[in-house]
Amino acid sequence: MEMRIQQMARRQQNMETGDPGYGILPACAPLANPYVPYQQDNPATYPAKNGVVRGTLFPGLDLPFMGMTNDVPLDDTPLHELQALCFALTELGLYLDTHKDDREAFELFQSYARLYNEGKAVYEQQYGPLTMEAAAHGETYGWMSDPWPWEYEANQREA
Amino acid sequence: MFVYEKKLQYPVKIARPNPKLASIIISQYGGPDGELGASLRYLSQRFSMPYAEQKGLLTDIGTEELGHLEIVGAIVHQLTKNLTPEQQRADGFAAYFVDHTQGVYPQFASGTPWTAATMQVKGDPITDLTEDLAAEQKARSTYDNILRLSDDPDVNDVIKFLREREIVHFQRFGEAIQKLRERLNEKNVYYLNPAIDR
Repeated sequence: MEMRIQQMARRQQNMETGDPGYGILPACAPLANPYVPYQQDNPATYPAKNGVVRGTLFPGLDLPFMGMTNDVPLDDTPLHELQALCFALTELGLYLDTHKDDREAFELFQSYARLYNEGKAVYEQQYGPLTMEAAAHGETYGWMSDPWPWEYEANQREA
Repeated sequence: MFVYEKKLQYPVKIARPNPKLASIIISQYGGPDGELGASLRYLSQRFSMPYAEQKGLLTDIGTEELGHLEIVGAIVHQLTKNLTPEQQRADGFAAYFVDHTQGVYPQFASGTPWTAATMQVKGDPITDLTEDLAAEQKARSTYDNILRLSDDPDVNDVIKFLREREIVHFQRFGEAIQKLRERLNEKNVYYLNPAIDR
């Protein structure tokens, strides 16, 4: 019992110091309902290139198995840069799906979208179209060219 | 509709073939808690969702799961490419090889073909979203088990990424249930089924 009280006191402290791994739960709630603590607005984020290898942009949700983590960012290639930016958009998009009024998060989403569009142009210039529609911008129809994404060669292109 | 983007969500670059490991990882392609079931579950459940928050989230997570299906397929493909005759005969892979050669087929690690019996679309929003919480945990446990069984760093790098996504999705589904609850009778969320009753 005493341990529980200590744990609760520590949790209270974590909330007050803004520990990103803690969220909001109602103090009193109807029975027989599933609850997951709500992630607080404007949460801390990793930069995209660190977040993508961790599998999340949010330190508060970064819960690895037996300490197995990817700590080294991907090599600096146009593909990896694009994957990091696209990942940041996916992650922030899912966050905004349940936090649509978080202004700071939306602004971060907007700035990653701008960087993503720039990165996409650089990548397509070098490696060809990412979508069938983008193939129309080339001199010839370059959509079909190898390698395709599941092939080793597509994932080991140099900077 | 869907538009294909010609890149993986996360890079897959596996240096050494390992057919035995492929025959385990195939379970996250077409197994009971795999990515095919995940994507079809969410992309099917969304049709009966009455409110925008849940329609949107199921669409977005279902779409991400299609990307994960592609990643798991890429792992299996690269682990089984350019096999020697000895590797084709390897313990734990010969049974797969005789049926599918080096193709990627949606099946359990135990060989059962993918089946929609592993997922549900109940047509009741709180029921479906509660299933989704469990589905994310089952997928996370499977990735934990793969990390226990695999010692290939190129594979594990990707598995760690996919495993963490399950945790993030669990969080979002939990929040989506809270959003749903705000729309329902506060004292009794089970008073009616908001998908069909008004």
